[in-house]
Amino acid sequence: MTTRSSLALLVALASLLVSRPTAAAPLAHREVLPNGIVLLVAERPAVPIVAVRVLMRTGAVYDPPDRAGLANLTGAVLTRGTAKRTGPELDSAIEFVGGSLQAGAGRDSLTVSLTAQKKDLTLGLDLASEVVLSPAFPEVEVSRKVAEIQAAIRRSEEDPGTVAARALNRLVFQGHPYASPVEGTRDSVARLTRDDVVKFYREHARPDTTVIAVVGAVTVDEARREIMARFGSWARPTDALPSVAPATAPASKHEETVKRELTQTTIMFGRQAVLQTDPDYFPLSVASYVLGGGSASSLYTRVREESGLAYSVYSWVSPWRFGSSFAVSAQTRTAEAPKVVAMIREELARMGREPVVDRELALAKQYLIGSFPLRLDTSGKVADFLVAIEDRGLGLDYADRYKERIAKVTAADVQRVAAQYFPPATFNLVIVGETK
Amino acid sequence: MRLAIPLLLIVALLVPSGARGDNRVVAATLDNGLRVLLLEDPRSPIVSFQVWYRVGSRNELRGASGIAHFLEHLMFKGTPSHGAKQFARLVEENGGQDNAFTSQDVTSYYVNIAAEKLDLVIDLEADRMQNLLLDPKEIASEREVVIEERRTRTEDDPGGFLGEEVSSLAFKAHPYGAPIIGWMEDIKRITPDEIRAFYKTYYVPTNAIVVAVGAFRAADALEKIKRRFGRIPRGKVPPPVLAVEPPQNGERRVAVTKQAELPIVYLAWHVPNQKSDDAPALEVLSTILAGGRASRLYRDLVYQRQLALEAGGDYSYFSIDPNLFWFWATPMPGQTSEKLETELSAHMERLKTEPVTDEELARAKNQIEAALVYQDDSIHQRASLLARFELIGGFALKESFMAKIRAVTSADLTRVARAWFAPDKKSVGVLLPKS
Repeated sequence: MTTRSSLALLVALASLLVSRPTAAAPLAHREVLPNGIVLLVAERPAVPIVAVRVLMRTGAVYDPPDRAGLANLTGAVLTRGTAKRTGPELDSAIEFVGGSLQAGAGRDSLTVSLTAQKKDLTLGLDLASEVVLSPAFPEVEVSRKVAEIQAAIRRSEEDPGTVAARALNRLVFQGHPYASPVEGTRDSVARLTRDDVVKFYREHARPDTTVIAVVGAVTVDEARREIMARFGSWARPTDALPSVAPATAPASKHEETVKRELTQTTIMFGRQAVLQTDPDYFPLSVASYVLGGGSASSLYTRVREESGLAYSVYSWVSPWRFGSSFAVSAQTRTAEAPKVVAMIREELARMGREPVVDRELALAKQYLIGSFPLRLDTSGKVADFLVAIEDRGLGLDYADRYKERIAKVTAADVQRVAAQYFPPATFNLVIVGETK
Repeated sequence: MRLAIPLLLIVALLVPSGARGDNRVVAATLDNGLRVLLLEDPRSPIVSFQVWYRVGSRNELRGASGIAHFLEHLMFKGTPSHGAKQFARLVEENGGQDNAFTSQDVTSYYVNIAAEKLDLVIDLEADRMQNLLLDPKEIASEREVVIEERRTRTEDDPGGFLGEEVSSLAFKAHPYGAPIIGWMEDIKRITPDEIRAFYKTYYVPTNAIVVAVGAFRAADALEKIKRRFGRIPRGKVPPPVLAVEPPQNGERRVAVTKQAELPIVYLAWHVPNQKSDDAPALEVLSTILAGGRASRLYRDLVYQRQLALEAGGDYSYFSIDPNLFWFWATPMPGQTSEKLETELSAHMERLKTEPVTDEELARAKNQIEAALVYQDDSIHQRASLLARFELIGGFALKESFMAKIRAVTSADLTRVARAWFAPDKKSVGVLLPKS
């Protein structure tokens, strides 16, 4: 399948956390269970399926400095065996009913995801709760995953986008755990043991930092009953929650070149930005959309439409729990890379120098606000959204506030945040490709 | 479709099996031949509006590969009433998302947007079906964009690069052997006149399907579509694709060397498409081999013996002409491409002699059925899947699809494995990392 642009998807992913539905009804029912689990339920009765997400605040940001990749490994082994079932038995049980049970860690969290038909919900929740509450982390499965992750890291070296993003991340978050890749490095993963995994999960998986979303053909009462029956006796520990320092901008910025035998050069600019709780987050989102968010954006227009220099060029804000980044990326034929680098710098600078044109501002705001229902059109997407806003502490009304704040953004706001966050000299730059 | 799409996504291209009986597809054929399928789905205040043209890389001539995909890009470059860039801009301004894709068989455009914007989308799609500008300056600039796209997807992507080699090896006569994006020389050469002629030939109502699913009243939507699309002249029925791939006489093999970290192995056999009685069995077979972590290739090669980082297979049930059944594997470091090729072949040989277990057969059928139910959750998927069935003979075929799958027996699987997977009828591609 070859498409005009993968932009729509990227934009949808980037803004998944920051928009709102137009529907007036509350998005979900929320309650806190006695052991601290936050339960979120959204009834979508029309289609007989249920999507469940169990999010634990157990991500790579908590990896010990010499154990990069530990959360990722823990997530990968979580479904590879429980007190009752082996990994293959879990796979067979869920796939026999056409369901799916996955687990994986990101920067800030570890999530178990279940999708099943309504008729198979009991089985699905039994399996999901076993995975969360009694994972066995068998030694042999840990060794298998270590080898697999190392091979996957090696293979990812073939992908210039991944190589660039990894290098950029190291520069942008220098000195903070976010600088390490979630998957770790081949060397760091080689050092990880079953004991590390068991200890990490024991320390970080706890009900009072867990969010469960149940979305689909299920009622609130039913969801509460089924979740309480399985997760209600999960005991809340008494020790304090682990803490992470917020990311602070490194003192220096860098340029880095990675040599690869490729016909294109991948260009990636990046710097730290603001959290979703910062008032500047809203004008920054609009500014990023005007610069490189859609097919009407200034970078898309200039680099792709007018100059034919790239198939892919875009900018995006990545808000995490303890830090945030803003990045601009393009891929172009190697001979033209210096020209594209210059164009990106010019467009970044121009946004701080000149006010955004009314029509471009209106387009960005209308898109960010108006496209929201499209991002919540399946049970899986609603469940992902619910655990994410809860995890960030944004509250179920965040969606409404977001719409209001975006609507209030003015041309002066956009220019002010662009002047603050877009000066080209403040960016790190990574280039992947042929070098002279 | 191109390869390397996970099997469950392929299964996901099937239409819901009527799990929601309250829904009725409203189907109509306008006087000018335009086929219209409408399905009311009021759950969210949105609509997915899609136009599918029955043209893809299979309709291309030698020397003009990639023209269907090139034209797809140019469909966003304006008409006299909506200038260059206005299409995407109008959609975004109205909070919508739009995109398009080109496959071997079809070119498809979609807009997902607030239901109240349906009139706007109907207007835009009807306009570009008939009035595309195809300005030579825009063509010149977009040609460079397509060239960059080819560099990203093919020249600089080991999997894409090898897949193209194997396709062109497997097909000697049929245009499925040419890449959808086109050979680089063809992309550079194709003229504006050729693109204009291609547009006039294939972008006619009689060659298109309009599908919409969402929060609208079907009768209203049909009226609007009639009013706007109905005045487009019918056009001639486009020429049929006459090429038939001759039987393969002997194994074919290609090896390429490229900067990469790990080798890749592809195996491809010619198989029949949905017109054949063997198609449901092939669909089940691909699920048993490659559908999920309990599937044979994953469990044996990736999990138990750790010979492969990835291993999979893919069958194109919906292909308009007979196509390929693909297998692929990425060897783990320390393993060789020869070893993986042997192991993939051994799995196929085993299917010829040893019946699959009842559990495997039941699991595969359940997976295919569940994937259909999951599709019902998304209006975009519902619309796409209606179009897929319409393209192969009628949207109502979805009703009998699951029954055909359910009827597949273990003996059917043995029979199709023997019939279609002879060792001397495969094409093999290997990518070796440059040391």
